[in-house]
Amino acid sequence: MDLIFENLTFLLKGAYYTLLITVVSMFFGFIIGVIVALARLKGNRLIRGLARIYVSIIRGTPALVQIIIVYYGLVDYGITLGPLTAAYVALSINIGAYLSETFRGAIQSIPKGQTEAAYATGMTPWQTMRRIIFPQAARVAIPPMGNTFIGMLKETSLVSVITVTELLRSAQLLVAQYYVYMPFYLSIAVMYWIMSTVFSSILNYVEKRLSKAY
Amino acid sequence: MAIIKTFELSKHFNNLEVLKHIDIQVDQNEIVVLLGPSGSGKSTFLRCLNGLEDITGGSFEVNGIHVDAKLPARQRKALIREIRQHTGMVFQQFNLYPHKTALGNVIEGLLTVKKMRKDEAVHIGERLLDRVGLSDKKDTYPSRLSGGQQQRVAIARALAMDPAIMLFDEPTSALDPELVGEVLSVMRELAQDGMTMLVVTHEMKFAREVASKVVFMADGVVVEEGSPQAFFDHPQTERAKKFLRQITEH
Repeated sequence: MDLIFENLTFLLKGAYYTLLITVVSMFFGFIIGVIVALARLKGNRLIRGLARIYVSIIRGTPALVQIIIVYYGLVDYGITLGPLTAAYVALSINIGAYLSETFRGAIQSIPKGQTEAAYATGMTPWQTMRRIIFPQAARVAIPPMGNTFIGMLKETSLVSVITVTELLRSAQLLVAQYYVYMPFYLSIAVMYWIMSTVFSSILNYVEKRLSKAY
Repeated sequence: MAIIKTFELSKHFNNLEVLKHIDIQVDQNEIVVLLGPSGSGKSTFLRCLNGLEDITGGSFEVNGIHVDAKLPARQRKALIREIRQHTGMVFQQFNLYPHKTALGNVIEGLLTVKKMRKDEAVHIGERLLDRVGLSDKKDTYPSRLSGGQQQRVAIARALAMDPAIMLFDEPTSALDPELVGEVLSVMRELAQDGMTMLVVTHEMKFAREVASKVVFMADGVVVEEGSPQAFFDHPQTERAKKFLRQITEH
């Protein structure tokens, strides 16, 4: 126990990186997700095809492999990314694919009559998306998006293999220093759990707020 | 003066011909009621007039804007958008925006399409809700309104764009029987105020009492048209006689 308290700031720093990577990847993944979802729904054949291939590749390969390709593989082509940047890039691309599927489903779940009603008053397709479809689709998308977010939080542990000192790797470093395993690994498990729980309750709150709106 | 005029308007889905060379005219201040058995193409015809369906042959004119099936898609789209700003449409399923209040539904088009200032739009919206008898519901979301109230909000929403003509696509067909009356009476008032209307409906009493002209369609063609008295009391064609027999039998 003393060992943990002595190294708590080190572990907390790891937790900070875990959170940072989660939030940054979620942010860019969100943007990618919206763009890809729209590409699949509204794009011409070429754009739809490209978007579909992207989603298929990302969902069909392990995130760990994607991370390693971005960090080690791209070096062959002269692209050297820092570990943290590589983590952001790989995880954003990864999460973007999953979120695009969530968003696509949410947009498709809005009845066609909504679009027709908006068109009938003279609204443009983009105005209709922004003012009528998105606000309704957001409500549908938020619960699955929350699950993705919590999944992401845990998946960040994968980037320990490319030497990003997030929570898992900070524990591994401490293990290497003190030669005891359980206290460090257990304590990061607890920290992951606390972070997930806090996120879940925030999400529950948001969901409740939204369901009250109409 | 004709607000709507169609010239051999045709429409097919793949190989299925839904509308065959339709020629119809709706003059200013006229109430034209489209009758016919289901599947006769009435709703499709209505939806062609504001571009919710693409026409595949012929042409039509709404408020002086001429759309021809032969025009390139891009050009047709621009004309259709123009037309939509001069037509109001009321749907069978209301299609109110569930995330907006009654007032929010009415002023949405004013804010986004007409780029009106919010206070101006609210002023118009409140007046229109009052006109359909719902000023006390302006801050209510559609999920809290009855079907009849929702449809009246939808009528106010269509009126907000100050349309030259109102298109009604079976506005009472999704309503419980006891709620039909309130929607029809709003429509009667509109008619009295001189609104030009093209109405697809199964409400025969409304057609008989309010219509200036009845158009009877079956299998994608106009079978008969004339004054409601002529149509209901002295139908000319066998098809129309059969239709009238069927609806009066029960």
